[in-house]
Amino acid sequence: MENMYLPYRMYIEKITEEAPLVRTYRLKFKDPADEEKFSFKAGQFGEYSIFGEGESTFCIASSPTRKGYIECTFRVAGRVTKALANCEEGDEIGFRGPYGNTFPIDDWKGKNLLFIAGGIGLPPLRCVIWNCLDLRENYRDVTILYGARSVQDLVYKHELEEWNNRPDVNLFTTVDPGGETPDWKGKVGFVPTILKEISPSSENTIAAVCGPPIMIKLTLPVLFELGFKEENIFTTLENRMKCGIGKCGHCAVGPYYVCKDGPVITYKELKELPQEY
Amino acid sequence: MEYKLIKLEKIQDFINALIASGKQVLAPKQKKEKVFFSLVGSFDEIAMDYIQTAFSAKSAVFPKCEELYTFEKNGKDTILHNPPAPENDTIVFGMRPCDGAAFDYLTTFFLKENPDYHFKMRYDKTIFVGLTCSSGDEFCFCTSVGISPSDTRGSDLMLTKTENGYYMEIITEKGKKLVEQFSNFFEQTEQIDKTKYTANIQKRFDSSALKEKISGAFNWERWEETSLPCFGCGTCAFSCPTCTCFDIQDEANLVGGARYRIWDTCALGIFTKHASGHNPREKQSERWRNRILHKFLYTDEQFVTLSCVGCGRCIRNCPAELSIIEQVNAIMEG
Repeated sequence: MENMYLPYRMYIEKITEEAPLVRTYRLKFKDPADEEKFSFKAGQFGEYSIFGEGESTFCIASSPTRKGYIECTFRVAGRVTKALANCEEGDEIGFRGPYGNTFPIDDWKGKNLLFIAGGIGLPPLRCVIWNCLDLRENYRDVTILYGARSVQDLVYKHELEEWNNRPDVNLFTTVDPGGETPDWKGKVGFVPTILKEISPSSENTIAAVCGPPIMIKLTLPVLFELGFKEENIFTTLENRMKCGIGKCGHCAVGPYYVCKDGPVITYKELKELPQEY
Repeated sequence: MEYKLIKLEKIQDFINALIASGKQVLAPKQKKEKVFFSLVGSFDEIAMDYIQTAFSAKSAVFPKCEELYTFEKNGKDTILHNPPAPENDTIVFGMRPCDGAAFDYLTTFFLKENPDYHFKMRYDKTIFVGLTCSSGDEFCFCTSVGISPSDTRGSDLMLTKTENGYYMEIITEKGKKLVEQFSNFFEQTEQIDKTKYTANIQKRFDSSALKEKISGAFNWERWEETSLPCFGCGTCAFSCPTCTCFDIQDEANLVGGARYRIWDTCALGIFTKHASGHNPREKQSERWRNRILHKFLYTDEQFVTLSCVGCGRCIRNCPAELSIIEQVNAIMEG
């Protein structure tokens, strides 16, 4: 039997400073045999670790269409993320995963896609966004609405530029009032307000939403107003987690384990759960 | 099923022979006013007439703290090692049927989906010898959750004390092997009716009626009031035979270290607290509710079994004198 707690040993190939205290690491497998057997799908997550400090849970922020590496984006918050932030390129990282369910992107074929993200909520959607963009012919209109507290808090600044320049992507970026800089060309206002302003059609459209609880709470009514059905609104849950495989109990919401039954969930399923997330 | 008899004067020799053969014997042992499962060096140390141990037998297979793996640093590389499997068998001797039933649940939980390496390596090397309860106390309520005080679930061998000695039921292959290895301590016997040697444990609530009531209990308005004495120490979970939650922590120096798992509990505020500070279960009453609903509702939905075996430890040990029996009855009243 396999010891599921043994991580893959990886190394940091590239570090990108995204925003204050937010970094993206591109990780590669140390052992080619591990790379060979590893595969994942959009929406899954893993446990990233520094030996001697502990493990932290983040989504896999890169797309499964980009082979040979995975990326994670994290904000420094506690002991493990602090230790992770002290790493340099070439340093070793432990990784367990992939865990959890996935965005059903095959079922989304032929539909319009609307991605709504706030702050550090973009990394979990970035994976599925790139996955769909790399299979662009499968989908119709792709709209991305991304907001952050301030201009400097926006993550993936280079990719926002790239999406902005693509004729097959409608990108809207916004910052909270007061968070704009003199040269800011995007919108100013909270995500739900901007969503109302751009009013994307709900006709044949899937919405995927990820961000702070308050943003999600205020965005949902706007989506309903636009005519989105509960089963066509997806989000990806986050809860404190330790094991990632349905054993440690931390992420359980009633009988539902975010780590193995989630993290991807439709609003229809979400409202059946005890209101404890 | 096969049945054996161990004469009263032979039980001592049997246990001492087990120990002499190199097996570890984990048995109830009196320490001050309480009884704990402890490794014993001879039969004399074992408390045979006890009602309930302070902590359950689960730590034989799921210890309070254990290594998930160890690591050594080698320049920029880290070498990982699996923890060593136990060399010798462990005999959990004199386990109460409620703890046995708890192992029934624990094996489902740990081994069914994503089988747990650490649980399995210990479980495979452990033999469970159950002991029928000849008496109970006001905290015992196994019969309320569908378990009997002579239940053989989760035991490899089951002992019941009679006038002639210890009547033994051989439940599993594992148990049979042990009996064959130590055959000279046993005599052949017929099946007996255990009823007259079994404690009469009063039913404190009706679990099927509870099932009806508890599915809608999340929004019950009395959670706060009924959980008010709880100060979130977690004693209930740490003494519970079916609680499985754990934390993962590292300990290391410059050359290496280990990643451990340590018992944890949903009674603690930090258990669900996000790095952002957001806490899905902010209040103690929400944490108490989670515990109760997990035992009587959530695991029933997940595994079609309650995860309370009626051992009564959480009541005996609670420093705030909270009672899960009273709690359940309050829910039934509405």
